[in-house]
Amino acid sequence: MANEYFTRMGDGQRIYMTKENIMEDLEAGCADASELGKIPELSGDELDKLAEIVMLPDVFVSVAPGMEVPLTQDGGTIRIDADQGNSGTGIPASRMIGCMMHERAFCQDTIELGHIDYSFKPVKPIISHECQAMEILQQNTIVPLFYGAMPNMGLYYTPDGPYPNPADLMRNFKIKEAQESMENSAEHLIRDMVWIMQKMMSSGTDGVNFDTTAAAGDGDFYATLHAAEILRKEFPEMYIEVGMAGESILGMHGEMEYDGKIIAGLWPHEQAPLVAKAGANVFGPVCNTNTSKSFAWNLGRAVTFTKAAVIQSPIPCHVNMGMGVGGVPMLETPPIDAVTRANKAMVEVAGVDGI
Amino acid sequence: MTNEEMFKELSDAVITCKNDVVTAAVEKARSEGIPAPEIIEKGLAAGMNEVGIRFERGKLFLPHVMMAAGAMEAGVALLKADMPADSASKKLGVIVNGTVEGDVHDIGKSIVSTMLQSAGFIVHDIGRDVPLQKFIDKIKETNADMVGMSALMTTTLPAQKDVIEMLKELGMRDNIKVMVGGAPATEAWAEKISADCYAENASEAVIKAKELLL
Amino acid sequence: MPIAHVLASGMKGLRTGGDLVARMQFSKNMRLKEAKEYVAKKVGVDVIELTDEHVMREVREELNIGVLTSVTKSAKGIAAKMNIEKVLDIKINSCEKFRDQLP
Repeated sequence: MANEYFTRMGDGQRIYMTKENIMEDLEAGCADASELGKIPELSGDELDKLAEIVMLPDVFVSVAPGMEVPLTQDGGTIRIDADQGNSGTGIPASRMIGCMMHERAFCQDTIELGHIDYSFKPVKPIISHECQAMEILQQNTIVPLFYGAMPNMGLYYTPDGPYPNPADLMRNFKIKEAQESMENSAEHLIRDMVWIMQKMMSSGTDGVNFDTTAAAGDGDFYATLHAAEILRKEFPEMYIEVGMAGESILGMHGEMEYDGKIIAGLWPHEQAPLVAKAGANVFGPVCNTNTSKSFAWNLGRAVTFTKAAVIQSPIPCHVNMGMGVGGVPMLETPPIDAVTRANKAMVEVAGVDGI
Repeated sequence: MTNEEMFKELSDAVITCKNDVVTAAVEKARSEGIPAPEIIEKGLAAGMNEVGIRFERGKLFLPHVMMAAGAMEAGVALLKADMPADSASKKLGVIVNGTVEGDVHDIGKSIVSTMLQSAGFIVHDIGRDVPLQKFIDKIKETNADMVGMSALMTTTLPAQKDVIEMLKELGMRDNIKVMVGGAPATEAWAEKISADCYAENASEAVIKAKELLL
Repeated sequence: MPIAHVLASGMKGLRTGGDLVARMQFSKNMRLKEAKEYVAKKVGVDVIELTDEHVMREVREELNIGVLTSVTKSAKGIAAKMNIEKVLDIKINSCEKFRDQLP
């Protein structure tokens, strides 16, 4: 009987697979990404390397000395105290403690201040509080400290916002009205994000992390690109990171453009040049984990997409590797064996500039 | 032209998302004597399936899906008189869809509603942050065949199980199919809470709904 | 999970030179190799030593750019960042804001 290796499903379940099955799944995941994105498949050597990583016997794996990369954060510092529906540990601790813990106890290369309702729109009424927090944190920390939030354009639709819900309009075949609503929401979102980050820059932030960009589709991405462009012009030295929400830009509007390109349907390697054009410094590609497929399938797919993005991107790529993305299983506490294998694969095969 | 070729032409017409192309193809199929139910099922509906797949693959976008659905409806309207008496306006089933209480995420759920509607289901989208009793009330009001529940947070996910328990207590569980979805939901979760199915994305929701209701 | 990532492939921030490399990626759009080479040259080490605690602890102390443990009198916060500005030849926003407040 062939040797079976301990591995995982995309939902974190423990399974055992033979080397042949692992290779099959790596190839299938890779082929899926290649077909979708019209990008090169990984080479035979690269797939062999991924298989080796999957089949390693240890719980925890890591890269070789000298291969290390900088890590950036998506909202992590607020997770010590708080929870926004997932991931919080509920330890009573201020955001100051969260940030300093991440800097000094967890050895993060960069950290981020965010608020518990981690979107831009809710920041406006509490901007003074955020500015105060940023000022005091900058006095006490050394590593780059960003202000992070999600564009989350959905908050601009009724009932949360002033514009009609485009999905409701679409279902009633009011396509033009739906598109108009998204266009208006995008303009409002740009204004808000720029205003908030102007205030945060005057409070000393190193820059901004636009987290889960395009979660609400192409309008959301459009707004982020334009906000980045405006901020870059006003603040030439600002650190700007644009991290995505999904692997493909959801075509809610379908006709929004940036730099002469329709942005709906773009894959990571196509998103990266636009993000760079908008003036961002770092791009965070995403590849979504399919919970019904094996870790190997998801890894092959994620590495294929990410490698293409790294090659096409004019700026550093920090691949997103939270729960359910970047090959990491979709589970609030992803198994460390899978997390570290995906991490090693992204550094050694996809060639990322950071995570 | 063979029937298969005609079905392909109908399917391709739907994918163009254009009313006039679809209606022209339907007229052509009629003139070739193809029965109306086959024109719909093997031609137009097959085209909508392909539209759903292309949407999921990022080749078509939501407005295209709605335009294709509108074009298909225009095609189906032409066939009304040719349909058997009891199926004149038959939809595939009635589905109540919403995001559970405490969860304000909307986009994914709305896309699922849109795709189910364009596939031919009657969809009652009851919104987000929906009190659990409202799912029950709407199911009763609409005599729904299926309920879809979305949750995007691990803290709200258990509400999907709660609704299933409520259905059991009210003796309604055997008469309704339950579909669950959302980022923290998985196949294993659906099995654990005795849901009928889990859908990874909007296209899969359509496939699973058809499998369970047709 | 952040700790898992840090241990698997992180440059470990103040413990070694990770924050410095991150700064070069963000302030000058440097890709990984270029950023590491730039920082290594500026602080006077080989690239592989950038993640070597034995080397970087001393480097950070000598340059007074902040160390992981809270050693009294070693530069922290704005002071450390102002020293980082000089070492890396970059501008840091919080330092600019600090200077703006001085007479």
